[in-house]
Amino acid sequence: MRRFDATQLTVQLAGDRAIVGNLGPTSDELWHAGHRDRNFYTYGNMGLCSSLALGMALATDEQIISLDGDGSLLMNLGALASIAREKPKNLIVVVYDNEEWGQTGHQMSHTGTGTDLEQVALSCGITSTTTVNDIEEYEGALSNALASDGPHFIVAKIEEAGYLPVAPVEPEFTLYRFRNTFVEGQQPQPPQ
Amino acid sequence: MTANTNTTRTDNWAHLIVQALKDWDISLIAYVPDTSIHRVTRIIDEDPFFHLVSATREEEAVGIAVGSYAAGRNAAVFMQTSGFGNSINALASLCVPARTPIPFFINMRGGTGEFNISQVPMGRTTVPILDLFGLVSYTIDDDYRMDNLLDGAMKLCYANRQPVAICLTQRLHGGKFA
Repeated sequence: MRRFDATQLTVQLAGDRAIVGNLGPTSDELWHAGHRDRNFYTYGNMGLCSSLALGMALATDEQIISLDGDGSLLMNLGALASIAREKPKNLIVVVYDNEEWGQTGHQMSHTGTGTDLEQVALSCGITSTTTVNDIEEYEGALSNALASDGPHFIVAKIEEAGYLPVAPVEPEFTLYRFRNTFVEGQQPQPPQ
Repeated sequence: MTANTNTTRTDNWAHLIVQALKDWDISLIAYVPDTSIHRVTRIIDEDPFFHLVSATREEEAVGIAVGSYAAGRNAAVFMQTSGFGNSINALASLCVPARTPIPFFINMRGGTGEFNISQVPMGRTTVPILDLFGLVSYTIDDDYRMDNLLDGAMKLCYANRQPVAICLTQRLHGGKFA
């Protein structure tokens, strides 16, 4: 399964739900899948994608989708323990697992040497978990998650298939645009 | 002999922080436990106005707080100086470039009254690091007019849309004693 195909499907199924993109290619592909003000792109803070999504889920009743990555989540496995502790019904964590740090030279990550992130999530206390290997399985898992109480944790095994151009987004504007979909008029608008 | 004043101090300073948080509608608090900070977070934990979120690491707490703010709920983080060290990249690569008004309440280890040599380096470098980021910090030794300072600090935080650090010293809260 290609990450971009999974991301395009995620955007298609998400409706107006918020989506947080992991840093780098996932955020780029989220933009290329079709910009929405409810896309929260990240270009730093590696490891915090699902922590950001947890904070969002605790601030609103609306469903939040985190598109995390194996290398990033491995940097902050405690996020899974905190999600299990808070148990936000409206949080869906998807981990794109390519078993490598793709952008830094395709070094094998710990999921390529046996670490099973679904088992980690289960051990932390997240009860709705699954691992999917193709786009059809992913569509089924995400559709189920969108239609039921979470927190949900989906490991989506992907293969690296090159990178799309860096998305022309900027952190400050991303935050303003995103936040203004929740509290309109509370912050100044960025220049267009 | 050093007297343990911890038991004789009032927690007025802690109640002033709680009131400032309420005044500025800051209702999600992400933190990693700390002995002195506990005197604030135990009040927060019992007040239904707040949602107190326990993080496993301070960097994670910053991510949770920024996420909360992004979805419309004002948030603050509580940590000690060693935890500030754990959260520096979140501050540098998320809070500053995205301009997030997140108040950081930091228990200043490593100053007067410190008993643990390992707490001194991070305690002494926390404010200089904040300065390097160009972030505003206020070091509080005493609760005299602290309500006024907190109110002004929160106003600045949201007007400037950048984190503001409230550094709480052992002279204020009594600290942790060996």
